[in-house]
Amino acid sequence: MKNFQWAEPKSIEQVLALLAKSEKRIALMAGGTDLLTEIKEGVVEPDIVVDLQSIKGLSYVRKEKDGVHIGALTTVAALAEDGIVRADYPGLREAAESLASPQLRNVGTVGGNLCQRPRCWYYRDLQSVCRKKGGSECFAEGGKNKYHAILGGGICHIVYPSDLAPMLIALEAEIAVSSPRGEKKMPLADFYALPSKNVRRENVLGPDEMVHAVRIPLAKKGEKSAYVKLKERATWDFALASAAVKGNVSGKSVNGLRIVLGGVAPIPWRLEKAEQVLQGKKLNSAVIKEASRAALGEAEPLDENGYKIQLTEAAVSRALLSLI
Amino acid sequence: MEFARGQEPRGKEQPPQPAQDFRIIGRPTPRIDGRLIVTGRAKYTHDLFFKDMLYAKILRSPYASAEIVSLDLSQAQALPGVKAVLKLKEGRVKYEGEQVAAVAAIDEETAEEALRLIKVEYKTLPHAVTIEAAMAAGAPQVHDGPNTTKLNEYTRGNIDQGFSEAEVTIERTYKTAVEIHQPTETHASIAQWDDDRLTVWDSTQAIFSTRDGLARALGVPASKIRVIKMYMGGGFGSKLGANEHTAVAARLARETGRPVKVTLSRKDNSLCVGNRPSTRITIKGGAKKDGTLVALRLTNYTSGGVGRGDESSEPLIDVYKCPNVKVEEFSVSTNTGASRPTRAPGHVQGTFALEGFMEELAAELGLDPLELRRKNYSSRNEGEAGIPYSSKGLAQCYDLGASRIGWAGRNKKPGEGQGTKRRGLGVASQIWWGMGAPGTLADVKVQRDGSVEAVCGTQDIGGGTRTFMAAICAETLGLEPQDITVKIGDTAYPWAPSSGGSQTAPSVGPAIRDAALKAAERLKAAAAKKLGIPPADIVLSGKKLFDKNKPENALSFGDAANELRREAVFHGERGPLPEGFAYNTFGAHFAEVEVDTETGQIKVLKVVAVHEIGRVLNRLTAESQVVGGITQGLSAALFEERVIDENTGKMVNPNLQAYKVATAQDMPEIVPLFVDLVDPRINILGNKGLGEPPRIPISAAIANAVYNAVGVHLREIPMTPDRVLRALRAKEAGS
Repeated sequence: MKNFQWAEPKSIEQVLALLAKSEKRIALMAGGTDLLTEIKEGVVEPDIVVDLQSIKGLSYVRKEKDGVHIGALTTVAALAEDGIVRADYPGLREAAESLASPQLRNVGTVGGNLCQRPRCWYYRDLQSVCRKKGGSECFAEGGKNKYHAILGGGICHIVYPSDLAPMLIALEAEIAVSSPRGEKKMPLADFYALPSKNVRRENVLGPDEMVHAVRIPLAKKGEKSAYVKLKERATWDFALASAAVKGNVSGKSVNGLRIVLGGVAPIPWRLEKAEQVLQGKKLNSAVIKEASRAALGEAEPLDENGYKIQLTEAAVSRALLSLI
Repeated sequence: MEFARGQEPRGKEQPPQPAQDFRIIGRPTPRIDGRLIVTGRAKYTHDLFFKDMLYAKILRSPYASAEIVSLDLSQAQALPGVKAVLKLKEGRVKYEGEQVAAVAAIDEETAEEALRLIKVEYKTLPHAVTIEAAMAAGAPQVHDGPNTTKLNEYTRGNIDQGFSEAEVTIERTYKTAVEIHQPTETHASIAQWDDDRLTVWDSTQAIFSTRDGLARALGVPASKIRVIKMYMGGGFGSKLGANEHTAVAARLARETGRPVKVTLSRKDNSLCVGNRPSTRITIKGGAKKDGTLVALRLTNYTSGGVGRGDESSEPLIDVYKCPNVKVEEFSVSTNTGASRPTRAPGHVQGTFALEGFMEELAAELGLDPLELRRKNYSSRNEGEAGIPYSSKGLAQCYDLGASRIGWAGRNKKPGEGQGTKRRGLGVASQIWWGMGAPGTLADVKVQRDGSVEAVCGTQDIGGGTRTFMAAICAETLGLEPQDITVKIGDTAYPWAPSSGGSQTAPSVGPAIRDAALKAAERLKAAAAKKLGIPPADIVLSGKKLFDKNKPENALSFGDAANELRREAVFHGERGPLPEGFAYNTFGAHFAEVEVDTETGQIKVLKVVAVHEIGRVLNRLTAESQVVGGITQGLSAALFEERVIDENTGKMVNPNLQAYKVATAQDMPEIVPLFVDLVDPRINILGNKGLGEPPRIPISAAIANAVYNAVGVHLREIPMTPDRVLRALRAKEAGS
């Protein structure tokens, strides 16, 4: 670990001022559960680490007219326990409870979870200078890739490890970003970007910007959500494949259906083809299987991760069946 | 008791002896140091800090195979705060993690900075990091000489004739991955010189062999070295013997004249202080239609990196009565860190193969897998020229376990269940040693004020050594465990063996008992003199010594001790093992699992673990030992695997996120049971070891339960979802 300076800004404005002025490499730290491991491995070497915990008022879950607002520094544990989340977005609670371990959920935050870096074991190894670290190859190609992407890989086969991101995208969440140019909002789905856009990054957050909140539209009557995560261990494990689903249920059919996958692509992966096929249809396992199999036809597994296709089908099927 | 071969009545080959009615021994005694440990006050090597102490860091090879072209230490030496720099390697490095250079500095940050300033130029060389690569034609040589070498061979009977008599013959290949020990506390040592004497505080399972190893490495007489280990956060074999980094700390301490501490990182721990070798074991076996084994042939290719693979055939040689056996084992060198003993080395892998094979043979024969095992039960140690076991309670293990797991409810045909969640039951047998080391010494000291010390140069590696020592001493002297001050973990104390091989309790227990019996005898004599009665009439009980005919005629324990007039030291020794008998421990694990056929996930629901270890010393810590063994074996069966990239030669999961160890949520209901049987001759307590036995059969029991659930045998651990789904798919395609 290289030595770094420590900054404790008291407001978002102070963070933005730091980001705008400094020539130095700055890392924003929320819970630190991800950043500290990267620093210890030497994968990132910031000159200044900015402790966002010193800013008051960024931890909240509030129901307002335009939706439910979640502060970036809300811990994952607080999100999982929140009454509004439990009542209106059961899938979000499931996603929050499925991730990491109780200790990590107590310090990890919503903003940190949405901005975390990939867990690819080549990216995390200082000596493997892969494309994501400025090199010219992806070591997962022809390497050890049982945990890597089956969709959207191309030049870099990381999977995006967040459990909250796919669920929030299924819930049509919007992310709020602060910058010296003011606040901007965008659909969370547009926040993430494939390696083909910028292999060094997983999202479009600018170097002078910071995530400060997420907003989810108010749950409509009859709206249900679910998150199914398949992993190797019972807990403290990233998804091999996960499925976040949301829709308006009437009888055995679902409208306004959204299906977003986790753990199988470099970004949360929307399964639009399956959504279209299943929209308004009477759901049963055969129908779901056919739709998800068709949608996953575009998967391009590597040598060791073909099993993820079957896992994804199972996750989608179980998540959808749990809605009806 | 002798029986003609093949005539043994089931379960009666060694009638259990009635346990002596001990007051403390054999009952559940809470750890005497439990409170200290759980409140964080027990001092582990990581917790120790000395005045003026320096911190050492070691630069390690990032390559699996390379030539060191140049090594420049000058910039590191010039860094303020750096007190010493050592070159540790010239020429060729043979595995990722091999020591190259070391620094000692005033704090860890400075030491790390200094490592970054050491300039090493490597010329990378071709490597072979897998068994397949190392055995391929034209593979790079790991050492001078061929990569594959004969490790072990064994023959009894005539294997060809055996197969010619067989009515059913099958051949199967089983694979086990490389496991990392992953102790909670990584390796750590502190070295301090005082003139020509060296004291080392070390996180070790073996203070005496660490001392002797350091003596050799440093060229210092063993008599000048003292090794101390108070508490340790796990070792599992990776902390047996002296470590290279400990010798480095001692050299840096000698050079700087200051204490030097070295603490390994989790990554170091994964790369360079040992691992369990992988195995690829092929068993070909033949049987009569009634299940009688007539021939067993085992071939093993095992890799312990730059070290040796594990001999894994002992279970096959010993567990079942088979007249014709042939074994050939080969060690395959690879450019990876050297192996070290890992909790039941060889037996874990060999049992996974043997017991999986027995399960598949039973299916082939249409027999109940437990009946097949009973059919081939052996009451003699076939591997040791057929000498009888001093005691063997495996048949009772089968009976107890089958009843508790509900064996009758298993799938009669593997995989006969329906739906996506399939349940199954599996069993596996266990054999191990655990006889203890004759010559182990221990002292009991009785002070004039009546306080008592139990002293032994053993070490507690987590099993509860202090507690059983206190229990035995208290039992013998009519005291309570908390009355005994236990002193262990120091080479200044009487010799005891390394804590490996399940030998601590059967070595130290009888030695303490011997010393305490001598103390009791002397105290009785002193009290008898004082009370004016014959020593034979003295009863030592309830912290008193009294006349058995007239209990009010009594001395307190303290008053009796005062009669000895000085600190009285009683030397105990663990006696010899009577010849002509085999001393082994036995057990059987029964597992119930649920397999999700859509996701390949395996959930272990319940494990009934029955062990025969002679006399149980402390039921509470014995049960903990079983739970620990099952935790580790379940973890290896389902999750654990060192993953190495063949292209780069580097381990990709040298951390606890990607190298997956079972969590509390993965644990099943565990029922630990013991066949209470006292070995009649092993030692004066009749106890055997338990450290390794519960680790041995569990992976096989789980794999066999998976087979019973889904009708396809995985034959490779860990049984991760990708492998389970692949196997299920292959079965579908085949049928």
